[in-house]
Amino acid sequence: MSDSNTEATICRKSIVVPVTTEIIKGALRSAQAEMERLLQRTAMSPVIREKQDYFCGLFDRDGRLLIGTKLPILGNILAPVLERFPIADMRDGDVYWYNDPYLSEGGVSHTPDQVFVSPIFVDGALVGFTHSWAHFLDIGGTRSGSTTPDATEIFHEGILVPPVRLYREGVLNEDLFRTFARNSRFPDIVVGDVRAMIASVELGRRRMIEIFSRFGIGPAHLAFDILIDQTRNFARKRMREIFRSGTYKFAELIDTDGHGTGPIAIRMVMTAAQDRLVLDATGTDDQTRGPINFLMHPSAVQMIFGIHMISGHPEFMFNEGLLTLVDEVRLRKGSILQPCFPASLGQRSVTLARVMSACVGLINVAKPERPQASSSAYSANKLRGTWPVTHTPFLKTLAVAAGQGARHDSDGPDAIYFLSQQNYPVEFAEQNYPLIIRCYAINRDSGGPGRWRGGCGVIREFEMRSETASVSLRMSNVEWPAYGVEGGLCGRSGRFTLNPGRPDERILPSLQDGVILRTGDVLRIAMPGGGGVGHPFDREPEQVLRDVTAGFVSMESALEEYGVVIEPETETIDLVATLDHRSVKRWPTKLFHRRHYFDPRSWWDEADAATRNEALPSVT
Amino acid sequence: MNRTISIAVDTGGTFTDITLVDRETGILCKAKVPSTPDDPSVGFITGVRTILAQAGLTPDSISHFFHGTTVATNTILEMNGAACALLTTAGFRHVLEIGRHDIPRDGNIHSWVKPERPVPANRIYEIEGRLDFEGKQIAPLSEDTVRRAVADIRRRGIPVIAVSYLHAYVSAVHEQRTREIIAEEYPRALVSLSSDVLPVFREFERSMATLLNGYVMPKVSRYVTSLEERIAGEGADGRLLIMKSNGGVTGAGSIRRLPIHTALSGPAAGAVGASLIGRLTGENRLISFDVGGTSADICLIDGNIPTVTTEGSVGNWPLALPMVDIHTIGAGGGSIARVENGSLLVGPGSAGALPGPACYGHGGTDPTVTDAHVVLGHLPPRLLNGTMTLDVDAAARAIERAVARPLGIGLHEAARGILDIANNAMIGAIRVVSVERGYDPAEFVLAPFGGAGPLHGGFLTRLLGMKAAMVPPEAGVLSSLGLLWSDLKSDFSQTCILKTNSLDLSLLDKAFQSLDTQARNWLETEGVPDSDRDILWFVSMRYAHQGFELLVPWPVKEVSDATLTAAIGNFHSAHHQLYTFSQPEMPVELVLARATAVGRFAKPALRTLKITGAASDAITGSQQVYSNGDWLSCPVYDRDRLGAGATFSGPAIIEQLDATTYVLPGQRASVDCYGILCVSEES
Repeated sequence: MSDSNTEATICRKSIVVPVTTEIIKGALRSAQAEMERLLQRTAMSPVIREKQDYFCGLFDRDGRLLIGTKLPILGNILAPVLERFPIADMRDGDVYWYNDPYLSEGGVSHTPDQVFVSPIFVDGALVGFTHSWAHFLDIGGTRSGSTTPDATEIFHEGILVPPVRLYREGVLNEDLFRTFARNSRFPDIVVGDVRAMIASVELGRRRMIEIFSRFGIGPAHLAFDILIDQTRNFARKRMREIFRSGTYKFAELIDTDGHGTGPIAIRMVMTAAQDRLVLDATGTDDQTRGPINFLMHPSAVQMIFGIHMISGHPEFMFNEGLLTLVDEVRLRKGSILQPCFPASLGQRSVTLARVMSACVGLINVAKPERPQASSSAYSANKLRGTWPVTHTPFLKTLAVAAGQGARHDSDGPDAIYFLSQQNYPVEFAEQNYPLIIRCYAINRDSGGPGRWRGGCGVIREFEMRSETASVSLRMSNVEWPAYGVEGGLCGRSGRFTLNPGRPDERILPSLQDGVILRTGDVLRIAMPGGGGVGHPFDREPEQVLRDVTAGFVSMESALEEYGVVIEPETETIDLVATLDHRSVKRWPTKLFHRRHYFDPRSWWDEADAATRNEALPSVT
Repeated sequence: MNRTISIAVDTGGTFTDITLVDRETGILCKAKVPSTPDDPSVGFITGVRTILAQAGLTPDSISHFFHGTTVATNTILEMNGAACALLTTAGFRHVLEIGRHDIPRDGNIHSWVKPERPVPANRIYEIEGRLDFEGKQIAPLSEDTVRRAVADIRRRGIPVIAVSYLHAYVSAVHEQRTREIIAEEYPRALVSLSSDVLPVFREFERSMATLLNGYVMPKVSRYVTSLEERIAGEGADGRLLIMKSNGGVTGAGSIRRLPIHTALSGPAAGAVGASLIGRLTGENRLISFDVGGTSADICLIDGNIPTVTTEGSVGNWPLALPMVDIHTIGAGGGSIARVENGSLLVGPGSAGALPGPACYGHGGTDPTVTDAHVVLGHLPPRLLNGTMTLDVDAAARAIERAVARPLGIGLHEAARGILDIANNAMIGAIRVVSVERGYDPAEFVLAPFGGAGPLHGGFLTRLLGMKAAMVPPEAGVLSSLGLLWSDLKSDFSQTCILKTNSLDLSLLDKAFQSLDTQARNWLETEGVPDSDRDILWFVSMRYAHQGFELLVPWPVKEVSDATLTAAIGNFHSAHHQLYTFSQPEMPVELVLARATAVGRFAKPALRTLKITGAASDAITGSQQVYSNGDWLSCPVYDRDRLGAGATFSGPAIIEQLDATTYVLPGQRASVDCYGILCVSEES
């Protein structure tokens, strides 16, 4: 014992602060990676293990985030627990838990997301916290899968768990756990998932204790301070470079709430004064009856800017330093970003995606020299039915990828769902569910044309093989596609089609539950793409030809939108005709594009007109 | 006459290492020649000539040539493989472009760019015809679409055709018929079928493996043929055996058909070499640690066998074939240290062989990990009786300029910082293969080798609380030695899904019988006598609802309720080992069956060292080393003069031709009868 203490002291003495800090940075990153790997590999619900809808993180003793997620879904994870359970009453081996969006003020933003938090003690003193977070398959509610476009109150969306203590000094509160599991349609899976979540926070706890015993509590906290400062200083500097003194406005539109309201506008005004950034979103439209309300913790919007500011700089930690980039975030109670209890929240990702797009829009208005186009949101659907012979129920998440917006120096990635979340392989889906997938391909021409092309969405088309199933549908950017920037065109819309090409073909609504599929019915999910950046006539003709032969761009679009003349027989470019066409047909542009070009002012007015239903979008 | 002499050739980035052994007498020779990246077969044959001359033997006395190659690895990493076409099921042309529709977990959504696929979508052809997940035909193969596609591929002059249809892992009928049609329409085309390469579900990963197999096929085939010709040209008729990623060797014929199996050939040889240390010392739990100029390869060895994974990757691509589970990081002797935004960073950039570290005096000015060792005294300025000198001042200047001054700290603190950060990256990598797989490094011995491994061994074992570091006498050429100790090995896998509600053991029996036959046929082809054969059965299992499988041994070669129960027991323990808990009440599903065929070679006898006098007899000089703020006097030992039984305390430096070992103050070193240097904490 004394030997290893001496050893630790020797190690500490010989290490200088910048070195320790770098080593602790590596240790925090590998702790998070280990926790997440354990969770993913052992969880039961396909949402976690195949789709990878989970994250883990670590906090210091003051509740500051040391390493967090790159998904801005989360608010302050820890505060809701600390409000209910004073630190003085916490013990080693405790695990706290919640999923209640309202009591956590957006700590989680819809009910299937479960948060587990464990305090970390060294020699009886609290030194930090560890957490795991994951989306559970089903926790009760109106329909299987817990979230449904039908929901109009949070009570339709499954059991609510306020901040509670699941473990006291390592002892499970069995009654609480049984009550929760009893509320799920798939209790076995829920039990397995909770085990995986607990194993993961436990692992994080051990790793943090190792860091403290290797470096000492004082030096470790000094390193935490430095890591947070490094991130904050860099990200704040970048924010100030973008938002010079002035006022910047941007509005973004959400298609519908699925219950007759839409479009709905998110309105953001960023005011940059000498030393102060204020983001005012109080002009955002009212909350809706349908479940697209996004109970947004102010830290979520900080995260959105933070991810953007440190993009391209993996040396900076994703930590507390990103949570204070904007000095004040103003939200309005009763708006779609701050709905009143008990508004339903299950489809809040629809709104989150547009909030992200609005933040990128503000950056485009403030600093158009590094343009970035808007991304379309992924489509998350649920298929529910029973197996032909056994009549046992099944629930399959249908997660379909969209196209990302182009950047100032690269095309938008094609076929992306979201960060780190993976698809169900076709062969896995067919082994495990009664369906045949007929097509899984790039949705040609869905990416917005531009000097840099917007990413294309995908098409996934399947045929039902069980007797009767019902599907819930959710797709965004159907009415209001992802905008293009600096001459780049907007992405194309997506749509759901039932039985395409058959006499009973039908376009389905983009946000609705309870659509019945019978044996032999075919559902085609064609996904929207991201916006483009820069005038499409400035794209290299060779790149356009490549896109044509690879099935990303049609011949018609190549000519009409990119101005590239391709000889169809030989698949070669007629360069003379191309240059000619481009010089004659080149059109003038403005900063934003969504079906037409807009300057920032007319863009803002357009959103007002749209929400007053003065300008109905033309459906293409 | 029964020949007993084998030569092993391991091609690395800078050097080609050659070892010769007489399996009966244990006589061992080793040599190094420069690698010839433009045509590695030149370096190969130069090495063979060199070692034959050294041993005074003729080419016809050699029974086997073992070889570890980086041809396939480099082809994939440098993206310069053959033009390939891919035939895929109609409706799935973009299987590679879509991939798993994700941005990697450590990527940033605003800046991540999708890596370019090895084959653009305009060389992917959709073929009508469809099977379901049980192999039943939904739509017949449209031979017309195959013929049209092949005609177009031929017209475009694309030499390789990969074929990967949905559910081909359960039935290969459509793929095999496609191969027949290709043979009729375009007989010169090289063909890679997914049902041959990786008959396992998950279409993106299977398609990628099949495609990469085709992608490396022309180069690897040409290379293997050229090796055979050069060997024959020397007047030798010994058999050429190539190391595969799974840690076993196989004949040239198998490699021509499935060249992708050599994707990790070189590193696998290193892991097998390290396992030899375990066999000799009885320490059968090792972590092999191979550090070169630019990277470190790390692998966990439990029970003398390097762990194997089917979730590895090469470059940007997943490769779901069985591969030795090697974790590679960009931290080696040449890794460059720099200060960015107040942080001291080391690697992944490397000074490489040229200009190399500043201390080499070849014009390098960036400080490297090697320079830090020089400044701290771990590497004496005059190595090996002056055959090589290091420029201490150049190393100091580089560290002073790029690290010490920007951070406002002293030179030696800066050097120590560089070393600490490199060590920390190495610790992280060791944790990935141990802790993340459920193993405690404290129960393992570290096997450091490669040019730079033995300099770090003592630091890492101390920081991780490992039992000891065991430095083999052949630290610089261990990979080639590993080749000589390898066995013939091939894995045959098949998806076989048994759910708890339909546990039809006859399906599994059928799968195993088929796999066993394939395994036996392969052993027959490789000419392995009955007495040297082993066929082992494995299954992949998971809990119902889980998405990842664990490979566990099937107890005996017989399918029954009892053997199933035993296999399930193996699964519960493996799950507990890996993930800290098991769920005995949860139903278990079986996903895949595998037969591993092994053909054993006689293991070479190893010569032992004589017990000689005191360790102090091997001291050639002394050197000042910097440790915790003090300068200590440190003796320098000549490894070749240390006899069995020699023991001494740190600080100590042990020199040999191709590596230097540093023993820390407070550590003790001893030499065993095989010349293995064991470094552990002074008790």
